[in-house]
This record gives sequence, structure tokens and C-alpha cells, in this order.
Amino acid sequence: MGFRTRQIHAGVTPDPITGSILTPIYQSTTYVQPSVDEYLSKGFTYSRSGNPTVKALEAKLTDLEGGVDCACFGTGMSAVLATMLAFLEAGKHAIVSDVAYGGTYRLSTKILSRFGIEYTFADTSNPDDVAASVRNNTALVLTETPANPTMKCSDIAAISEIAQKAGAVHAVDNTFLTPYFQRPFELGADISIHSTTKYMDGHNATVGGAVISNSQEHADAVRFIQNSTGTIMSPQVAWLTLQGCKTLSVRMDAQSASAMAIAEFLEAHPKVEQVAYPGLKSFAQHELSSRQASGYGAMLWFEVKGGLAAGKKLMDNIELWSLAENLGSVESLITHPVTMTHADVEPEERARVGIIDGLVRASVGLEDTEDLIQALADALDQV
Amino acid sequence: MSRFLNFDTLSLHAGQVVDPEFGARAAPIYQTTSYVFPDTDTASSIFNLERGGHAYSRITNPTVGVLEQRVAALEGGSAAVCTSSGMAATFCAITAILGQGDHIVASTQMYGGNISLMKNTLPRFGITTTFFDPTDVNACREAIQDNTKLIYGELIGNPGLDILDLEAIAAIGEEHNIPFMVDATFNTPYLCRCFDYGANVTVHSLTKWMGGHGVAIGGVIVDGGNFDWGTSGKYPTITEPYAPFSGINLWEEFGPSAFATRIRAEAMRDIGPSMSPMNAFLLLQGIETLSLRMDKHMANTMELLDYLSDHEQVSWVNHPSLPSHSSHELAKKYLPKGAGSIVSFGVKGGREAGKAFIENCELASHLANVGDAKTLVIHPATTTHSRIDADALAAAGITEDMVRLSVGLEDVADIKADFNNGFRAAKRFA
Amino acid sequence: MHFEVNGKQVFATTGGKPFDNSRPVVIFLHGSGFDHTVWNLQSRFFAFRNYAVLALDLPGHTHSEGPPLESIESMADWLNDVVNALDNISLVAHSQGCLVALEFGSRYPERLRSMSLVTSGLATPVNDVLLGAAKEDPEAAIAMMTGWGFGPAGHLHQGPIPGNSMVTGGTKVMRGNTPDALAADLNACNSYRNGKQAAPRIRCPVQVIVAGKDRMTPRKATDELIAHLHKPEVAVIPESGHIVPQEAPNQCRALLRQFIFSNSPAT
Repeated sequence: MGFRTRQIHAGVTPDPITGSILTPIYQSTTYVQPSVDEYLSKGFTYSRSGNPTVKALEAKLTDLEGGVDCACFGTGMSAVLATMLAFLEAGKHAIVSDVAYGGTYRLSTKILSRFGIEYTFADTSNPDDVAASVRNNTALVLTETPANPTMKCSDIAAISEIAQKAGAVHAVDNTFLTPYFQRPFELGADISIHSTTKYMDGHNATVGGAVISNSQEHADAVRFIQNSTGTIMSPQVAWLTLQGCKTLSVRMDAQSASAMAIAEFLEAHPKVEQVAYPGLKSFAQHELSSRQASGYGAMLWFEVKGGLAAGKKLMDNIELWSLAENLGSVESLITHPVTMTHADVEPEERARVGIIDGLVRASVGLEDTEDLIQALADALDQV
Repeated sequence: MSRFLNFDTLSLHAGQVVDPEFGARAAPIYQTTSYVFPDTDTASSIFNLERGGHAYSRITNPTVGVLEQRVAALEGGSAAVCTSSGMAATFCAITAILGQGDHIVASTQMYGGNISLMKNTLPRFGITTTFFDPTDVNACREAIQDNTKLIYGELIGNPGLDILDLEAIAAIGEEHNIPFMVDATFNTPYLCRCFDYGANVTVHSLTKWMGGHGVAIGGVIVDGGNFDWGTSGKYPTITEPYAPFSGINLWEEFGPSAFATRIRAEAMRDIGPSMSPMNAFLLLQGIETLSLRMDKHMANTMELLDYLSDHEQVSWVNHPSLPSHSSHELAKKYLPKGAGSIVSFGVKGGREAGKAFIENCELASHLANVGDAKTLVIHPATTTHSRIDADALAAAGITEDMVRLSVGLEDVADIKADFNNGFRAAKRFA
Repeated sequence: MHFEVNGKQVFATTGGKPFDNSRPVVIFLHGSGFDHTVWNLQSRFFAFRNYAVLALDLPGHTHSEGPPLESIESMADWLNDVVNALDNISLVAHSQGCLVALEFGSRYPERLRSMSLVTSGLATPVNDVLLGAAKEDPEAAIAMMTGWGFGPAGHLHQGPIPGNSMVTGGTKVMRGNTPDALAADLNACNSYRNGKQAAPRIRCPVQVIVAGKDRMTPRKATDELIAHLHKPEVAVIPESGHIVPQEAPNQCRALLRQFIFSNSPAT
């Protein structure tokens, strides 16, 4: 069945007792067992180890990504952590995209490095750089494509091949495009990671994460971490995310179309120095983006002429767009990564990977395109 | 289980059979609008009241159903219907059986919303009310007219805290074949089960002591199942065919739950003040500790009554547990575990002293609600009743020095310390 | 509807449709202390499926004029007076009603197309404590009846309809009967000895519905009943207590539906 049908129906069947068309919110810690001998016969014992509402979301995401299993987590960061803990240990090495989300960078350099895990931050937009970073203890390659906030894309198929040769797991953070536009497993990846906070929920209502595996072996490893560390998703969050997923494709289509129009508007605007949006012909990896994804998503960045000062002026004056962290919601958001999402990344590292001081990140929402453009035009007028 | 379960057990278990699908110990939150039918025959059976079941969450919802059955069990009622607020419960309960040309006899000492409903809103639809002094049973009897269809009151009156003599009022209802409806919000079934004393219907604002945590608005109507609608002959909405359900006769088909079924079939369908499943879940959580909380409310209330009675800046204290209260004997009879956690008292120094007291309490929250887990205080003369002149205040039983207190669950020493601050500030007006 | 039998007012619900005796008839008989409402989630269903339905109140119960009848045999004769000359009856009985059905079926076998017996034995001996209470302290007897009668779901205040508590509903029904009705019912059950002779004389197809958590009918008594009937269809509802029509209304209705639709089809 098609994606739009599956985003609505996958994982959810009417409640057999009442007929409730939606999966109930099982806000319950524990499950009464029919007898000692039938322990676990109904599938649930304790909500850290499994919860029927969360399970429904896991089934839906598994289906949408075309994987084998999915484990949901309390946040996208927990999903990244679980992936690292599942496939790394002291003495092992991971290659992580040098433009990964700031939180991923912080987790790697400030926390897991203390436990003897080695990291190389590679320019994953260049497969050769990934290949050159491979060591004999490399166990995980983590890419993010398009990357946050630079929009740099990584060639999933090429890197999957490198990882496979190295005997490493290739995990792709697929948050920006979602399986509606990009399906990493079809390109050879092993793991797909999501911050469900973003497009899956879509309404700024929850924080959550998910790790979808393409093999039972990987799935078991992630599930083991999910249960052992207990960084689980709550049933309320799962339920709200289940509702959000039902409109994923229509939101993605509409928000991406808006993003394209906005990118074109900005590119033509005399006060804008540069725009990065994979859909633009001027985008360095436009060809790769078109090849490995069926859409360009709704994230972009631009630099106002006049650098940081001008960018700040725009963000402080813009209306309709909210100056806020998060992305992927129906509300349009505008962010200054240097002072907000990526403040923890050292200035030299930021400069190296292309997070310039004047970079303004835009998460295009579901408002009318003309209203969003008008708001940008008005704010640019004030710069 | 062959013996009837007791109150505390019921407050934890009643209405919930453990989820048969997964065994989830807590009641699942059925946050859904609709229910998929296995076949058309089942669907039509549910719509035609041939069988129970869920069709649409405005009418019934499995999570709300657990709460309804739990409250029915605690009250000893045959059925309950939850509503989006306590006022919705009162409105639906009254309009289920009364219509144009009908008349209510109601206590003067009631929550302002109830008074306003009967004084201002219902008359627009041809339903009039005569109010009677709840301390005067004869006044109730004398207020009955040929077209009287309902006697309505609150067991613990507001604001005078006079206790309604349930048995005496119920006897008047029985004499005239009129049901007696009680707003039991202030007492909860833990302090008094009104059906045991002849009431026929109770309504509650679950927002207050039942829910207990101030997190959800909700109401409930409980059918006592003990009124003979047929013999009475005055209630066509219960005993005559109801066209929307193929002319069903609710009294014949549903007997002791005919009244609740009418509310379900009419008010929930045509008016739709339904409770949300999330609120039902939160209120169920509250009810799990109802008796524990009520005991503590009562213990704190008794301690504060001592404290206030002994305080030199307090001119008077009003609570039915005090021997000086005119309803003290009735309180002992109907409310042996305690006569509620609302207390009113006078601060020496009048209006300004009352105001100063309130403004200088830091722990006690200054707001108009009652029945929260937190202690609440209000000075009616400068707030809820500030637009009323002195004469009208007096008629409502409110004095300018009056402070109304809803005793919470804090450590009582901390409440006293907080009040000490209030009294210090009020001293200069004394 | 109200009608007169032997000079007394009798009540039966027709399930929301006018009684049309040209259609196959389904008659519902309640158990000790109960009334027609125990069947409300079955009677209405059949009335809306082209059956002529009567869910009766025995004399002295809820809407039917007293005094209550003193023996199962007199109830069977009364039932015959109620049904007059009808000969297309599916009789559905609960508990005490089953004894009446056995007796009626043995005396007037030609009247019946089918018989459904819900939670019954061949005899229903009643314990002395309950018999005594019914006479001396009806409120205590009502508590015993509902306390023992309803299974776990009843004690958890489940309702056949969301929001209803069947156990308190049952209590209120019993309180609404004439004060001596329960004692008369229980005495009639306790004294009835003719089941062994009556059961084999029934000629129509018989269905027996057994409740897995029935504390009022010993399984042995039900087995005896089954042994004395001619090839009855037996079905067990494992989770239900004695008051099957209310505790397991959907399963009960499904069983009745399958049995009655096939033995006495309505067009």
C-alpha cells in the first residue's frame, strides 16, 4: 500500500474490546498476568520494557521506513545515544558527520569519549573523507543528511558501501527528510534515526526519538539498550506522535513547496548574500539530493548581507516566524545556530564545517507561503 | 468476591475490569472520538439501546465509563453520567425531567452558580424556582406547588454551612412524589451517601474534593435508582415513549437506571457536555485517594477550628462541627466523619481587616475555588460579592469581616504560621 | 404493557415494539427477586428482529400486582394464563424462571418451539440463612442475593451499559418489589421437587447456558438438569456469575440469537 495509506493505518488496528478506532493511551506502569505459566503471554510486563501505545508507534515507524523493528525513546538524543551504546564500546571507533547536530557532537566529545570510545568527525559529504577515516576498530558510521544546519548532504549509498566493507554499522539520521522523502534502507543503510519531535509529531507538542533497524540483530541490540538504560518514550508522547504521523506526507509536501518558494525568493533578494536549500540548482549537492531523495524538505539557511549584525537584526524584527529552537513543526521557526543550537560547538570547529556566524536557519512551516515570504520581505527591509 | 467491597476498595477498583487485551493495570485512556463496529447489526443494536457499547465519545467513552461506574459504586447509585463540569451536571439533571411550566423548590444556601441557573437561566425556559431556608423544613413543604417537579439542595449549605435535613426533605418529596436532588460536592460520598437518607439523585462537581488536585474540571450525575417515576406520573420524559429511540419507554426498559439513561440518550446526544477521557483519567487518579485526603482535610479542619476559636482577633467562627453551630446535631447525624473542610470566620476590624488578612497570607492561595489539596482563602466582601451592597450581603449571610477558608492538606502548623502573618497585618484595624 | 390476568394487573415489556402474536413469540422469565429489566439487553433485541416479545414481571414484582405466587407450579399455571392460546413460544428463563419453564414445558409442551434455560439446576434448594433473612430481614436477604448472585464484574460495579452499575441496579429492583416477594420466590424454589419428572417431558429443543463463576447454582445441579433433558445444547460462559443476562449480556444474546433464530425463525 502507498505511503499515505500506511502513515495512517500502519501499526494501528481498532481496539478489539471497544472498537476504539484509535489506540488507547495505556498510561499504565504494569500489566496483570493471567497466571505464572502465562507470564508475558499478552506481550507486556512493565512499561519500561514495552507499552502498547508506544508499540503502535514503533510498528508504524518500522513500516514507514521499511525496516524490521523500531525502538522509541524519550528524545531524539536518547535515540542517538542508544545507537551509539548498541554498537560501540570502549576501544571502538565511530565516524560521525562533522556537521552533525550540536547535541550529537556534545554527546560524543563530552560524554562517550570519557568511556573510551573514539570518534572521528569526518566530512561525510565527501565519501573519500569517510573512507580515509576508517580504522580497524571502526564500528559505527553516523551520518545526518541533509545535515543540521549546513544542509550538507551525504551520499547514503556510497557511505553504506564503505561502512559495510569496514564491518561497521551505518546509521543515518533521517530526521530532516523523513521516510516520506528519503528511505536510507533502500540505499544500503542499517539504521535510521529520528527525532520524532520534528516532522513525525509536527505540531511542537512532544519530544521523542526513534531508532529503526533493518535487521533483527541490530534491532535486538537497540532494544536491549532501550530496556537497560530506560530512556523510553511515554505513552502520551507516543499517542500524540501517532496522530502527527497521519499527516506527515501532506505536511512534508506543503512545507517543502513553501521552502522552495522561499529559497527562490531569498536567492533573488538583493540583501541576501547566499541561500542553501537542496532544491535550488545553485545548491552544491543538488544532484545528489535529487538522486537519493524524492523531495528536498523544508529546512534551509541563508546569510544576510552584513553578516552577523544584519542577521540578528532580521531575526529580532521578523514577525510570524518564531525565534525558537526545534524544527519541523507546522509553525515556522527561525534560529541562529551559532548562539542557539550549535553554541556548544567550538568556534574553530564551526568555522571548519561551515556554520558561519551570519547563518540564519529557517524551518518552514505550514502557514501560507505568501505570508511567510511577506514576513521575510518586511524583516529584510528593516536590515 | 461474594461480599460487597468496601469504600476504600471501591475507590481503587470499582468500574474497572483489568484491560483484557494487555492486562494494563491502569485504566487505558481511550482518547478517541469513535469506535469501529464489527458489523452493522452490532452498530444498529448499540444505537437502538438494545445492547451496551460505544459508538461515539460524546455519548460514552470507556475511560469515562470507568469513572462513572466508580462514582456510582461509591455513592450506591444505579448509574452515573459524567459531564464536562459540575454546572453541566446540574443543568442536564434538571432539564432531563423538567420543562416549561414546571417548578423547583430549592435551598437558598447553594453555590452561586446553582442559584444563578435557577434564578436567571431556567426561567427563560419556563422553569421557575422557589427558594427555601434550609434550616426550616416547613418552608420547603410550603413552597411545593402543583407544578413542583423537583426539590433541590446542598447538604452542606453555602455560605452559612447549614446542614440540610436530608430525611425530612426526602419525606416531603415522597409525600408529593417528587424526586429530591442533592448537590453533594461539599460532602462527597465519603462523608455522606445521600441515597442512604432518601435522596434520589446526586450531582457533583468532581473538580473539587473528588478529584482533589485542582487539575481537571468535571461533573457527574448519579441516579439513585430509588425513585418510582411510574407511580408518580409526573415525568413524561422518563415514562412516555421517547421518539429518537424508536419510542423507547425508558422507565419500562431500564427501571432503576431510567433517569441516567434519559440523560445519556438526550443530554449527551443533543447537548453534548461530555467529559474528556484525559480528565476522566486524572479524576480517577484523584478518587483513588479520596478517603485519605478527606480524613486529612477533616483533621486539619478540626485543628484550625481550635486555632481560630482561640484567636483573639477572631470575632466568630462558623462550622457545623462546632457545638455552637445551629446545624450541629444534623451534622453529627449525616456527617459523622466530619462536616466538610469549608470554614468561615470573622476578622476583628471589619472589611479592611479581612482584606489585610487575605493579602498577607502567603501559603494559603487567594482564589475563589474550593476543595483543592491546597488551602484557599477568600474575602467575599471585596471579591466575589464586592458589587453587592451591605443589605444584600447580609441577606446572603455574608458579613464584611468574613473570610472563607477551604482547608487544604498542608502541615497544619504551616497553615497556622501563615495565618499568624495574616492576623498580624490585620491587627491595626482591630 | 399492562394487561389483566385472573383479575390482576400484569406487566410485561414488549421490548419497544407492539406485541403482534402473529409473529413467533419470545417470553422472558426473571429469577427470584428480579424483574423484567434483568432481560433488557436481550428482550429489546428480539423485539426489533421481528419477534413478539413479552418480558414479564411475576405477580408482586415491580409493575405486576401482588400478591406474589407461592409455588413454581402456580407460576407455571399463571404463565399459561398469561400466554393464553399461543403455541409459537420460545421461552427464555433465568434461575427460578427455569424451574417455572420446566414445569410449564412439561404441562403444555405443545406451546413451545424452544426453551432457553440460563443458570439453573433441576432443583434449587435455598440455604436456611437466606430463607430466614428473606422472611425477617429483606434488606439482608437482598444483599445476599446480589452479593452471591453477581460475579467479579458485578462486584467491580461494571455495567451492561457504560456508566451503569448492575449490582446496585439489581439491588434497587429487589427493593422495588412487594416486601414479601423475595421470600415467596425463595420458598417456591426451595420447595420445588418436580424437576426430575418435568424435564424429560419437554419436547421442544432446549438450550442450557451455564456460568463459569455461578455461586448460586452448583455445577452438579446443572449437570443433573442436563442429564434429564433430551439432548440439550449446552454452552458455558466462563467469566460470568449467576446473573448472566446482565453480567454477560452480549454472549448471552449471541447464544439466544443463534438458538432461537434457528428453532423459531422470524421473517
